Amino acid sequence: MKLRLSPRALVAIAALSCAIFFSGCAVSFVAPYDETTDHLLTDLSQKTETAVVRADAGQLSAEDREKFYSDSLGTVRMLKARSTLFAKNEDETSALGTLEENYDALSKRGAPPRSSLTIGLRRSLLALQQIQIAKKRSSIFSAGLKKTSSSP
Amino acid sequence: MASIDISQLIQSMLGAATGAAKGHAEDLKNYVEAQAKLIAEGAAAITRDRLANIITDDDVRFAWEEIKRSENADRAALAVTLKAAAQDAINAALNVAASAVNSAVGVAIL
Repeated sequence: MKLRLSPRALVAIAALSCAIFFSGCAVSFVAPYDETTDHLLTDLSQKTETAVVRADAGQLSAEDREKFYSDSLGTVRMLKARSTLFAKNEDETSALGTLEENYDALSKRGAPPRSSLTIGLRRSLLALQQIQIAKKRSSIFSAGLKKTSSSP
Repeated sequence: MASIDISQLIQSMLGAATGAAKGHAEDLKNYVEAQAKLIAEGAAAITRDRLANIITDDDVRFAWEEIKRSENADRAALAVTLKAAAQDAINAALNVAASAVNSAVGVAIL
C-alpha cells in the first residue's frame, strides 16, 4: 500500500508533528531514573545481605540487630519520601511501603535477620532493584533516541 | 519531495518497537529467575532452621506471611517493567515515524 501525499499535505503533517514533538510528544509512563535512589537501595541491599550472613553465623548481637533495623527503617522512610517527589512513581512508592512493613515486622518481632526469616524482605528489595533496572534501561534508551533525532 | 510508504513505515515502526521492548523482556526473565531462586533457597533455609529448632512453628508462619506481603512489591516491579517497555516501544515507533517525515519532506525538522 503506497499513499501519495501532496507536498502541501506533507508540510502540514510535518508542522503538526513538529508541534506535537516540541510540546513533548514522547510518551512517559514511568518516573525518570534516579541515581541517588539506586545507590541508596544498592547500599541498603548490601547492608541487609551482610546482616543476614552475620545472623546466620550467630555473629549479630542484639545491639547490632536493633541498629540494623533502625538504620534500615530510616533509609527506607527517606527513600519513600523521596519517591513521592516524582510524578508517575506510585508503583515504586508502594513497593517501598511494603519494604518498610517488612523491616518493621522483623524489628517488632525482635527476630534476627536470618535467611529463613528474611525471604519476604529480600524479595521486596529485589523487586525495588528491578524497578531501578527498568527505569535505567528506559532512560538510556530515551537518551539514545534524543541523540538520534537531534543528529543531522 | 518523496512519498511515505505506509506499509513499509508500519513494518519499521513495529521493528523498532519490538527491539526497544526486547531488553526489558530479558531483564524480566532474569528478575523472575532471581525471585524463584530466592524463594527456593528461602524454603530450604526455613526447613533447615525449623528442623534444627532454631526457629519455631510461629516463626515459620511469620516468614510465610512476609513472603506473601512482598507480593505487593513484586507486582509493582512487574508493573514498572511493563510500563517502561511500553514507553520505550511507543517512543521508538514515534521516532521512526518522525524520521520518515523528515526524509519525505527532505528537511530534518523533527
